[in-house]
Amino acid sequence: MLDWLIRLIPLFPLIACLTTLVLGARVLREKSHWPAILGCGLSAICSLALVFCVNSREIIPQPVRTVPIYRWFEVASREHHAGNSVDQTARKATDDAGRLPDNAAWDRSLEVTIALRVDSLSATMLAMLTFVATLVAIYAAGYMHGDRGYWRFFTEVSLFVFSMIMLVLSANFLELYVFWEAVGLCSYLLVGFWYERPAAAAAGKKAFVVNRIGDFGFAVGVFLIWTTFGSLDFEKVLSPAAIAEVGAKNPAMIGWICMCLFLGAVGKSAQFPLHVWLPDAMEGPTPVSALIHAATMVTAGVYLVARATPLFAAAPEAQMVVAFIGGFTALLAALIALTQNDLKRVLAYSTVSQLGYMFLGLGTGLMTGISAAMFHLVTHAFFKALLFLGAGSVMHAMGGVIDMRRFGGLKTKMPHTYWTFLIGALALAGFPLLSGFWSKDAILSAVHEAGHHSASTPHSSAAADLPESSSTAGDTDSAHSEQGPRLLGMCRPCLYELLLWMASITALLTAFYTFRAFFMTFHGPEKIPPEAGHHAHESPSVMCIPLWVLAGGALALGAALDQHTTGMFGRFLDWAIPGVYPAQQEEHVNAFIMGLSTLLALAGIAAAYLMYGTASTLPARLAALAGPLTRLSQNKFYLDEVYSALIVWPLKALANLSRFLDWALIDGLIVGGIGKLPGLVGRLPRPIQNGLVQFYALAMTLALGVLLWVLLTK
Amino acid sequence: MPAGEPILNNYLIVGALLFTFGLVGFLARRNLIVMFLCAELMLQGVSLTLVAFSAFHGTWSGQVLAIFSLALAAAEAGIALALFVVLFRRGSSLDVSLWQDLREADQPPVPDESAGDEKPPETSWPHLPPAGVLPQDAPEPNVHAHKSAPPPEPIGAEAAGRKHA
Repeated sequence: MLDWLIRLIPLFPLIACLTTLVLGARVLREKSHWPAILGCGLSAICSLALVFCVNSREIIPQPVRTVPIYRWFEVASREHHAGNSVDQTARKATDDAGRLPDNAAWDRSLEVTIALRVDSLSATMLAMLTFVATLVAIYAAGYMHGDRGYWRFFTEVSLFVFSMIMLVLSANFLELYVFWEAVGLCSYLLVGFWYERPAAAAAGKKAFVVNRIGDFGFAVGVFLIWTTFGSLDFEKVLSPAAIAEVGAKNPAMIGWICMCLFLGAVGKSAQFPLHVWLPDAMEGPTPVSALIHAATMVTAGVYLVARATPLFAAAPEAQMVVAFIGGFTALLAALIALTQNDLKRVLAYSTVSQLGYMFLGLGTGLMTGISAAMFHLVTHAFFKALLFLGAGSVMHAMGGVIDMRRFGGLKTKMPHTYWTFLIGALALAGFPLLSGFWSKDAILSAVHEAGHHSASTPHSSAAADLPESSSTAGDTDSAHSEQGPRLLGMCRPCLYELLLWMASITALLTAFYTFRAFFMTFHGPEKIPPEAGHHAHESPSVMCIPLWVLAGGALALGAALDQHTTGMFGRFLDWAIPGVYPAQQEEHVNAFIMGLSTLLALAGIAAAYLMYGTASTLPARLAALAGPLTRLSQNKFYLDEVYSALIVWPLKALANLSRFLDWALIDGLIVGGIGKLPGLVGRLPRPIQNGLVQFYALAMTLALGVLLWVLLTK
Repeated sequence: MPAGEPILNNYLIVGALLFTFGLVGFLARRNLIVMFLCAELMLQGVSLTLVAFSAFHGTWSGQVLAIFSLALAAAEAGIALALFVVLFRRGSSLDVSLWQDLREADQPPVPDESAGDEKPPETSWPHLPPAGVLPQDAPEPNVHAHKSAPPPEPIGAEAAGRKHA
């Protein structure tokens, strides 16, 4: 019964995708949204049911439930087949201690089964994903109305939802990788949905190419996992015993694996070196931006790192890198978002920034940090999807104009959009008691905790819990604590202290730029661009209802799940990664952090009101005062230009050189040269064919004479 | 040494002389007919040598070969002379260097220095009427008009035209 519930969750969107694919163009046409909405909706109902099943230990006694679908492939060495090894593999697979087989016995066999693995981590992701997807599908039915590719849109959205569900439900790294690529494909298709526009086509390509870099790292990580652990199943790879065993043999290897996996996460979740694709991806339809590039797909990287927490726990340096990249990206993206004039781009940079927060939480290495990151992931999905859909509603009304300088004062024209956007903006800014407040606060306190209680690193506490591995892991850990892991010459507490300050500044900036966008769009004198025409009114109810539902989530979700109130979320995730961390019971309210973040949020909102909510010349004067800094922010720190100069142009030059070499050397010299050679040789004796009979006769005579002479004088 | 050797030597010397005269003539002269005669001379020199050896050895094979080559020379003469007539019609000359056109396409022609600037006089030659024209409709034999006159119409077309009139 429960297995069928799990199987149904990916099945519904798949059916919706196939139905729209086959019937969309001819039969469904303007009704193409029904399969997607129904598929996502049914899937969301099943997911919510699943969350309650997972949450109560009576229904699922063990924390993990795996439903095999089919065996994808099996590679086994010869001696594996020779003996009666079928039983052996079966025993190995069910070895609940999760220990690796001995190296001698490990015969490099590989068995990959497509399976659905449910624990509370994936159940949480599933519920959020399908719920947001349903609302976005409903919204898109209004937003995309009348588009030429209406059925194509819903086919691709259904395919995306299916792939994302399978990604979250993956039971091994290879399956995860496959669906990781599948969501990348859907992202490419949907960013370039309006492929007639060159900007959209280029943005799709950019998203795809930049993601390739990250996916390369992920692939290398998967290879490393297989060569190190001899298996790809989460069950075996992420078991603490296996990690301790590998860590004892080759301590650096775990770090390498983590860095490779994190590179994949950096690409997919648009973190610092590879964040450039996400703002450009806003060329896609707004529901896509809300669903894929704010709520779900970009959080796959966070999910991956959270899933691989046992690995990261064994590599404190890797955790510090994760935290540092996350904190740095959060600050960088917030600085860029300050001066952007494109409403969707502000939100895109804010997404990058918030994803940085999540990585910061994951990088603390504390159980509270990881559950805070996942918590922020869920609340962020709600309020960011809400903000994007609100921006889409504005864009819909303004006839496709998204530049905030060209419209303003839409408060009275679009009351529903105004109020829901306000709720979303408050949640994003971390206004007290809204969902963003709780989750951001949780991350900040986790970072604070990591900076101050670094003596009890999670590694040592985890290792102490494992009787078999305590000796080996304890040795490596004591080696670590003597020198202490360092990053960029900073000790662990110093790093987290620095990151706390960076995160706090980011929180201030977040509140500021969010409300800058809000005031520029909805307050001030009413300005409507001419493109809007007769559209300049509130969106239809099919678009407003999802906004209000999401606004409800943004309002209440944080308080409903936070550890200080109900504590549902923390309890929930403790079961997801069993064995690595002891369930932490410390539930003290960190008043300092809470007060600090409240203060920062209020200060940011107030500053934005002073500068943009009232008719003031302050922004212009400030921009003039800090001219170079403003330009730096407006031009996104020239990162696109730097990449263009460092990577794109050299590669183009290389491509041109290759083309020239192909044209000149291969085609010209080798292929063409060999072809011309007989002609050139033929040109040599051509003059003797001069048409004079006497010349021929003379040549024959002379040749005869030479022949006779040779024959006779021999 | 066989007894007939001095006599054989005489025959061989005559044959070699014939061949040499023919060869020199073939290389030195440009008149097609003279060149042809010289080629015949070479052939006869070879034939004479064959017959002489045949007689010397007392076998028939050389003589049989000589008979064959005579028959061949006769056939060759028939074809070659017919070709010369056609070539003469086209070029109004028997000079073989007129027919250098069969050289490689991109080679320059070899100029004829010995001929001088003077062109041979334009002469026209009698020719046979084309076959297939009714005798009573044949145009007046005009020796100069054959280049500009329209080609005679085929029989059927003419007959149809007359009936129509």
